[in-house]
Amino acid sequence: MKRKQLSWYKKQDPWLFLFPTIVGLIFFRVGPIISSFLISFTDWDILRDARFLALDNYKELFTSSAFYQVFGNTLAFSFIYVCGVTIFGLLLALLLNQKLKGMKFFRSAFYTPVVTSAVAVGIIWTWILSPKYGILTIVLTKMGLDSPYWLGDPSLALFTVALIQVWKMSGYYMILFLAGLQNIPESLKEAARIDGAGKFKTFTKITLPLLTPTTFFVLSISIIDSFKNFELIYAMTRGGPQNSTNTLVYDVYLNAFVYYRMGYSSALAYVLLFIVGLLTAFNFYGKKRWVQYQY
Amino acid sequence: MKTVERIFIVMLVFMMTAGLFANGAQEAGTDEEAVLQYWSWDPELKSRNQEMIAKFEAANPGIKVELTTIEPKEYWTKIRIMANQKKLPDVFNLSAGYLEEWSQNGLLLDLSEYIANDLNNNDFYMNLFDAVKDLSGTDSYYAFPYALVTTLLYYNKDLFDAEGISYPDSNWTWDDFRDAAMKLTKDINSDGSIDQWGYWFYGRYAHIESWVYSNNGHLINRDTMKYEPDAKALEAISFLTDLVLEDKAAPSKKEMSAFRQQDVFPQGAAAMFVDGSWNIDNNRSVAGDTINWGIAELPKGPSGDGSLTYGWPDSLAISPNTKNADAAWKFTRFAAGEGLSMNMVMAGKIPSYRPLTESDAFLEKGQQPDNKDLLIQQAGEDMRTSFTLSWGEWRGYGAAESLGFNGLIDGIIDGEFSYSEALELADKNVNTVLDRNYK
Repeated sequence: MKRKQLSWYKKQDPWLFLFPTIVGLIFFRVGPIISSFLISFTDWDILRDARFLALDNYKELFTSSAFYQVFGNTLAFSFIYVCGVTIFGLLLALLLNQKLKGMKFFRSAFYTPVVTSAVAVGIIWTWILSPKYGILTIVLTKMGLDSPYWLGDPSLALFTVALIQVWKMSGYYMILFLAGLQNIPESLKEAARIDGAGKFKTFTKITLPLLTPTTFFVLSISIIDSFKNFELIYAMTRGGPQNSTNTLVYDVYLNAFVYYRMGYSSALAYVLLFIVGLLTAFNFYGKKRWVQYQY
Repeated sequence: MKTVERIFIVMLVFMMTAGLFANGAQEAGTDEEAVLQYWSWDPELKSRNQEMIAKFEAANPGIKVELTTIEPKEYWTKIRIMANQKKLPDVFNLSAGYLEEWSQNGLLLDLSEYIANDLNNNDFYMNLFDAVKDLSGTDSYYAFPYALVTTLLYYNKDLFDAEGISYPDSNWTWDDFRDAAMKLTKDINSDGSIDQWGYWFYGRYAHIESWVYSNNGHLINRDTMKYEPDAKALEAISFLTDLVLEDKAAPSKKEMSAFRQQDVFPQGAAAMFVDGSWNIDNNRSVAGDTINWGIAELPKGPSGDGSLTYGWPDSLAISPNTKNADAAWKFTRFAAGEGLSMNMVMAGKIPSYRPLTESDAFLEKGQQPDNKDLLIQQAGEDMRTSFTLSWGEWRGYGAAESLGFNGLIDGIIDGEFSYSEALELADKNVNTVLDRNYK
């Protein structure tokens, strides 16, 4: 009898430990995901009870020219960010994957922007890029160059904010690539060298292929990360000038917490979810073709 | 029955019984005294509000007030949720921009009876109450205004003196203003770029509508609730954008992108600036005594007579679901009146309680500006605003300040659109928002 009871408890043990997490997940993740889907079919403004609008929010969204601008901004931001953090993250990791003096200092230095508040980063960069008094403007002027309006010109602002986000987050991806680089057995590189491969060939034929699982992970994470950029835009441009830095996630925020259009905002959020899901699925689908898990 | 189970049942019965008694005690408490919930949007004023509440409770033994202060950025979301749940606090802060939405959704107690029968009209600027009535779009008073923000022309006396230009006064016209702005625009170090601008503005509501109203114009047709700027409003927009594009007496928005908009003037980068009267506080803290500055009314437009003020009152409102309406009214009247002190009102805001506004404490002699009595004069003038439903969305406000109508004006002065292209876009974009709200 006692043994039976004991085995019952043993079976339930994992569930007991998981119970708080599952409750949290249901109430704070699954619940909002389902409720925001339902809200996306209403005109809920928090103040009044919601009215069912069927697909009106989605219709409004897909027939609005502003949405397509925001959508384009989001894709452009995402492209710059994903390419930027992947390339810079890898370059930094290669630079810092050396056994030289002071490497720990440089690794920490490059990682510091990752843990710095995005709002603080935004304010400091706004000063640096200031048209008349910014350090960058002064340096460019001394060099006899014209400094553009980095944040004031609609054709440059998105690129500028995306680059600053790349600068801020490259340290994080550097750590991921460093871990990947240090997992590559030295013996394989040695074998390549013995076979007469130079540094470049060793890198392209040994290091890069063996780094593909890390690269795949970096791409997956950075794609998701790129669609969540909010703080820098809030701190630096507030979606302007001329809507040029207004991305989907910023528009979700504006519609939800500034205009109180929860229904429309939820519809936008679901479009965002769909895009992120699609890109992630595409990434996973394609990984068989280029990710190499075995030596 | 096992001992553990017995203990559990005894505890459960005890807790349920205690709960019943506690509930009974609470109900007994409500019979004896009215407990009011008061929500304030200014955590910095918490201790001063508590002092005010202590004074009120001492004078009104049957009423207890419980204060909740919430950060402004969270205030509106939280209080909207409370309104949706019919759990609004008895008394709460309300912005002028939300008066129409809240009153028309039955979320504010009609104070008309109280104001007619239980308020000394001589103690308050009653035109602020009229402004509140107009803003609600009804014939009733749905809020109690306690402080007013007006728009002012700020000018740098040092720069005016250096150019030998006389200070702005109530006779100033747009032409006087433009002449001064052009003379005050300077390339001080002769490097080919302007170091000192005559004026600074962008698409912000206080920077545009104040000029529209100084020319007696309208952006919104209140009969149709459409964006239909009249000729006087268009004249104002054209006058302003020409200051940047033609007269070169004001910078584009993008040139000032590193400044907080309110800091351009106190940092000496522009000789004149128009914005809300709350900037008196900001100018003092940013400029200190480094510059001498003054305030004046906006220059009169060709069609203006100087009798209109662009102002918006902060108010207290009472929940329509309050069980203690009389007590809530008493507290509201006290909090907006004799309970208010100057250290509870940001410098530049004008209390609606006349004994406070018309006191030496308000004039703050010895501090800049030396003519705060101008604000007293403005408090007595007729008011106009551009508030509508979803105003923040079409106007471009707060986190959306680069967008909406605001962004379109910025586009003109930044050279992204022509004047007519921007107005065409404004017609389409603003009316899309207004049409959704006024079907």
